[in-house]
Amino acid sequence: MKNKVLMGLAAIAMVAVLSSCGKKPQVEIDATNAAITAAQTAEAAVYVPAEFAAVQDSMKVIMADIAAQDSKLFKKFGPAKAKLSSTLTLANKVAADAATKKTEVKKEVETLLTEVKAVVEENTTLMKKAPRGKEGAAVLEQMKTEMATIQTSITEAQGLYDKGAFMDADNKVKAAKERAVAINTELKDAIAKVKGKTAPKKK
Amino acid sequence: MRKVWREVLIFAAVAVSIPIIILLLIRFTPQPPIGEMDYAREILSKAETNKADTYSKKLFTLARIYYDSAMINWQKENKRFIYLRDYDKVAMFAELSSKKASQADENSISSTTNLIIKVKQKINSLKNLVAVINQLFTTYPLSSEIRNRISEGKMLLEEADIAYKKGQYLQANRKMTDSEYLLTASYDNATTNLKNYFKSYPVWKNWADKTINESKKNRDYSIIIDKFSRKCFVYLNGAKKYEFEAELGKNWVGDKRVKGDQTTPEGMYKITKKYERNKTRYYKALLLDYPNDEDMEKFKSEIANGSLPASAKIGGLIEIHGNGGKGIDWTEGCVALTDQEMDIIFRIVKTGTPVTIVGSMIEFENIVNR
Repeated sequence: MKNKVLMGLAAIAMVAVLSSCGKKPQVEIDATNAAITAAQTAEAAVYVPAEFAAVQDSMKVIMADIAAQDSKLFKKFGPAKAKLSSTLTLANKVAADAATKKTEVKKEVETLLTEVKAVVEENTTLMKKAPRGKEGAAVLEQMKTEMATIQTSITEAQGLYDKGAFMDADNKVKAAKERAVAINTELKDAIAKVKGKTAPKKK
Repeated sequence: MRKVWREVLIFAAVAVSIPIIILLLIRFTPQPPIGEMDYAREILSKAETNKADTYSKKLFTLARIYYDSAMINWQKENKRFIYLRDYDKVAMFAELSSKKASQADENSISSTTNLIIKVKQKINSLKNLVAVINQLFTTYPLSSEIRNRISEGKMLLEEADIAYKKGQYLQANRKMTDSEYLLTASYDNATTNLKNYFKSYPVWKNWADKTINESKKNRDYSIIIDKFSRKCFVYLNGAKKYEFEAELGKNWVGDKRVKGDQTTPEGMYKITKKYERNKTRYYKALLLDYPNDEDMEKFKSEIANGSLPASAKIGGLIEIHGNGGKGIDWTEGCVALTDQEMDIIFRIVKTGTPVTIVGSMIEFENIVNR
C-alpha cells in the first residue's frame, strides 16, 4: 500500500516537474524591450525605418512564440531565449545605425547650409554685375524677392537643424539650394551673354 | 512469488497509465489560436511594408490595437488554470486585426498609387503655372505682397518636388497643396486685374488702327506705344519702320487718373514740343498734349462722381524722353527710350506727329497662349 502511494506521488511530481520546467524569460524580454526603446529614442523610426520595423516585427514573433509556449502544459522557452538574444543584438545595431545615419544627415545639412549660404553670397555679388538693360532690371527685381524667400528658407532650415530635426532641415535646405543655384545660373548666363556681345544692336 | 507479480503488474499499469493520462491532459488542454495570430502578424507586417502606417493610418492603427488586444488576452488567459483557459477572444481579436490590416494594406497601396499620380501631375501643372507667371508678370507691376506669395509658392513647389523624389509622398502633397494655394491665388488675383485691364482692348485696337491709317493717309510718321509689351513702334506710310524698347511709369497698368499716380496715360496724343539736349534733363524729350479733351472730361467726371477727391489734380508734362535702357519701369508716367533711340525718333518726328499710347496691341488670350 505504501508503495502504491509513493508511485502515485512520483507520477504527480513528474507531471508537475515536466509542466513547469520552462520559465518565461522575463529578464531577456525586458532587456530586448529596453534595447528597442533605446533604438526608438535614437530616432530609428526616422533614420532607419525598415531596420527598425524588422526589429519590432521580430519582437512580435518572439512574444507570440512565448505566449504559445506559455499556453502549453510542457513549456519550452529555449528557442525564444535564443531569438531574444539575437533581437537584442539587432536592436542595439539598429540604434547604432540610426545614430550613424543621423550624424550623416546632420553633416549633409551642415554642408548644404554652408554651400547655399555661399551661393546666396555669390548671387548678391553677381546681381551687381548683372545687365540691367531691356527686361534685365525687372528680372533682377524678381530675383531680389526670390533671394529674400531663399534667405527665409535658410533661416527656417537652420532653425530645424538647431532643433535636431535634420530630415526636415535637409528637405528645406535642398530646396533653397536648388532655387539659389537656379538664380546663380541665370545670372551667370546673363552676364556671359553681355560679355559675348561686341556692341549693342540698333534697330 | 505472487506478491512480486502483483507489484510488477501494478508498476506496469502505472507506467502505461501515466502517458495515457498525460496524453489525455494534453488532448483536453484549450489550444490558443496560434495560426490566426501568425496570420494577423504577417498581414500587419505586409501592411507596414506597404506604408499603411502612413497612408492608411486609421485602419492600420486599429489593426495594431486589435493585435495587441489579442496578445494581452492571450497572456491573460495563460495565467489562468490550464483547463479553464478560453482563447475565443484572442481568436476574435486576431481575426479583426488581420481583417483591418488587410484593408489597411489594400487602402495604402491604392492611396499611394493615387497620391503618386496626383502629386506628380500637380507638380507638373504648377511648374507650368510658374512658367506662365514668369512670362506674364515679370514686368507687370504686381504688389510686393503678391510677388512674395509667388516666390514662397515657388519655394514650396521645390520642396514638394524634393519630397516627391525621396518618396515622401504625403509631405510632398502637403507642400504641393500649400504651393498650389499661393500660386493659384496669386495668379488669379493678377490675371483678374490683367483681364479687367484688357477689357479696353477694343478701344486700344481702334486707336492703333486709326493711328496707322493716319500715317498711311498723311504719308508721314506716327508713333504707337504698346504698354504691355513695352514697345515703341514708329510707323511711316502705314508701315512699321522702327521698334524700340520702352520704359514706362512705375504703375503703368491702367489709364492715368491723377497727378502723381506714376501711370503712363492711354489715349491719342500729339507731339506739342521738342526739347533739345540742353532743354531737358532726360537727354532729349518730346512733350505730348496730355491731358487732352477726353482726359479732362474723364477727370472731371471722376471728381463729380466722387471716385477722385475734389483736391485731386490731373497732372501733365507727359513726354517721350531719353535716359532709358534701365530695364525697369521707372518714370513718373513718361515713356523713356535709350538716348540712341531718342536721337532717331527726335530726328524724324515733328510737332503734331501723332503718338498713341495703348495698353496692348495684342489680345489677352493671344498673350496668354503665346
